[in-house]
Amino acid sequence: METVSAVIEVSDDKYFITIDLGGSTAKIPLSDDRAVEVKAAFNKIIARIKRGEFQIKLEVVGDDLFAQVANEYLAQLNREIKEVAGEMKEYGLT
Amino acid sequence: MKIDIHTHTKKCKSGDAPTREISPKDFCDTVLSTEVGIIAITNHNVFDLKQFEEIETRLSGGAQVWPGIELDILNGGPRGHLLVIVSPLMAKEFSAAAYELTKSSNPDSFTTTIEQVLTAFEPLNPLYIAHYKQKRPAISDEVLEVLMTQTKHPECVIKEVTNSISAGIYIAHGHASIYGSDIHDWAKYEEIARGLPDLRLPVNSFEHFCLLLKKDPTTINTVLDKKTAEELVLRPFGDESTLRIKAFNDINVVFGPKGTGKTCILKAIARYYSDSGTDARVYESASDRLDEIFDVKGKNLTINLNSHDIHYCTDEIEQLRSASEIGVTSLDSYMNFFKAADTNKSANKILLKDIDPEEGGSVKREFNELRTANTKTQEFLDFLSSNSSVKRELTEAEINEVTRILSELVKRLDKSTWNSYSNWKLVVLLNSAIKTFRKEIARKTGKPAKPTSTGFRDYAMNRLKVEVSAIKIIGSVDAKIPSQIDVVGSLGSGKGELQFVTEFRFQTGGITDGALTSLTDVKKGPQKKFVSCVRKILAHVYADDLFQHIADLNAIEDAEGIKTVHELLMFNRYFALDGQPYSPSSGESSMVMLQKELGEERDVYILDEPERSLGNEYISDVIVPLIKERARSGKKIFISTHDANIAVRTLPYSSIYRCHGQTGYRTFVGNPFSNHLVNLDDPTDQLDWKKISMRTLEGGEQAFGERGKIYGNR
Repeated sequence: METVSAVIEVSDDKYFITIDLGGSTAKIPLSDDRAVEVKAAFNKIIARIKRGEFQIKLEVVGDDLFAQVANEYLAQLNREIKEVAGEMKEYGLT
Repeated sequence: MKIDIHTHTKKCKSGDAPTREISPKDFCDTVLSTEVGIIAITNHNVFDLKQFEEIETRLSGGAQVWPGIELDILNGGPRGHLLVIVSPLMAKEFSAAAYELTKSSNPDSFTTTIEQVLTAFEPLNPLYIAHYKQKRPAISDEVLEVLMTQTKHPECVIKEVTNSISAGIYIAHGHASIYGSDIHDWAKYEEIARGLPDLRLPVNSFEHFCLLLKKDPTTINTVLDKKTAEELVLRPFGDESTLRIKAFNDINVVFGPKGTGKTCILKAIARYYSDSGTDARVYESASDRLDEIFDVKGKNLTINLNSHDIHYCTDEIEQLRSASEIGVTSLDSYMNFFKAADTNKSANKILLKDIDPEEGGSVKREFNELRTANTKTQEFLDFLSSNSSVKRELTEAEINEVTRILSELVKRLDKSTWNSYSNWKLVVLLNSAIKTFRKEIARKTGKPAKPTSTGFRDYAMNRLKVEVSAIKIIGSVDAKIPSQIDVVGSLGSGKGELQFVTEFRFQTGGITDGALTSLTDVKKGPQKKFVSCVRKILAHVYADDLFQHIADLNAIEDAEGIKTVHELLMFNRYFALDGQPYSPSSGESSMVMLQKELGEERDVYILDEPERSLGNEYISDVIVPLIKERARSGKKIFISTHDANIAVRTLPYSSIYRCHGQTGYRTFVGNPFSNHLVNLDDPTDQLDWKKISMRTLEGGEQAFGERGKIYGNR
């Protein structure tokens, strides 16, 4: 199974999980609660799953709060990506 | 039963085609493969008794064979041909007479005179059939006159013409006419035989045929009595007067001048049968109602999409309409969880809260797969044990072996299914427990719980379901439904068959064809917008604005009626000729409506002036054969007509003649075989069927003459 990389990026004091989906980038805001941006990132992830199941790996796992959140968040997201990929296969969408 | 009064089995003259030669065996095989029930052997100037007897033996009652000869007659004028046919009972005497007449010459050069023919054959009471007019070489009217005046049985002199149309015309003119195959090539006989004359009355023998020719009333009534008939007591005229008529399981014609109540009689007949539970109605030509009759506007048009393997998509349309965005887990809840130091000792002892939830989708899918495999295998096992074909093909040992293996498989699948179910529910229970413990600990400690899901799964599944529904709907509306093509009927004159085409098309979002009409109450505009919207939903299913398109779908005006893809159907119904849309003329509409009427399976057909708007040729070529075919299958047919083709050429078993004179209305019944029409109220009041027919039908004798000119048979 393919693995794509994710990093924690800081821009204007705002933290993001930036996932390189190959051809597109999904950015999940960590420091602000912005559901619309999370959904936009999810849409890109769904579209990427259609090209093939994958897992996200956080390149550098630090000890700070954002690293802990990102690590937990991506662990859960990977589990859910696997489940969605299975369902897509079941529906014949991939 | 068909009759062929003119055949050859031998090449007698040098000009005869070799294909006229046929062995007795082949002759019998060929004749028995056709509907010909009576056949006369009439070789040129020769009669072969031995061959005749062999044929008669071989046919052994399968068909009647009559002995005959075709003679070259020279009575001063040009040479003509005369068939002389006698009873099979007189075959030997006939053979001797033919030999005596022809022995001094060969078939090529032989000629004789009417006087010599009469001398040779008259004692045998023969049937004389003379080539006439276009049937060459023809016997002249003068020579025929000699024959008619000198024979003892002038009613047994018949004119042989070239085909059925000519025969019809000459019969209409009062000439006894017939036509035979005069076969040149026996390889083509089966095809030729289809066009030979039908005998309307059963003929048991040559003698019987001659009696019918003489219109012997006893013979005719005996034959008619054998035909299934019933007496109808009618009250057609709205008063107390009754009409008793005999209705045959055959053709019954009502004729007479206009305004004499023929339609009233037909309606009374329809009422009579309807009252007794038989489907009967009066057919009236109404060419302007063709579109209505064929439901061109599709008022009652329906279609079952399942029969075309097209899904109605009821659930999918409902799912699309009700789809709404699903929220995702706030990142704050993660931040809050990690920010809060968990200091509660008791809470720290509960490790379950720290376990990550398990992914449950795959175990659920595994369970479903196993359950399906288990069910299908059990069904197959049940099928094998109950199917008689399987039992025939396999030995008992083989059946036992197959059953053993499949039973073992079912057992294992059963066990695996339960294990899988258990695993699935274990994951569900675990995840539920984790979620509950986290929630409860958070409530007790006041510290936020660790989220169990990012919300991605539910978010994605929501869109997946939208995609699946949209794909299914688009798949259905992109399906092609084959056009339904029904043959309406022949337009005659080699023009071809009129077809009635029903096209169904789904609105695919871009169809603007004005010829198409919505199949349901949903208008075409909303149909088009709806499908366009579903296509946009599919194209944007993973885009940020997906739910804007779903909102657009729900906002389409007058689209509430779209519950299934059936409401997205349009249709076009039209008449077509050679695959192209065609508007039948008034006459053509009448043609096909009449064919439709006669094409329906019923016991009683009642036709009121079916000839209206129809050409003579069409009546002769299409309608008369159709009516005869229905009559042959024992149906009752009542026809009111002014057309000689129908009234004469169908040779109805019963003719009802209505007229009006100084004494008021009169009703006569009779038939063309006896040639009498008898007043129902006064048996002594009789009319000549032929004369009345000629006077009443199609304006009288002059019309027949004109028709003769049209066909070129003067």
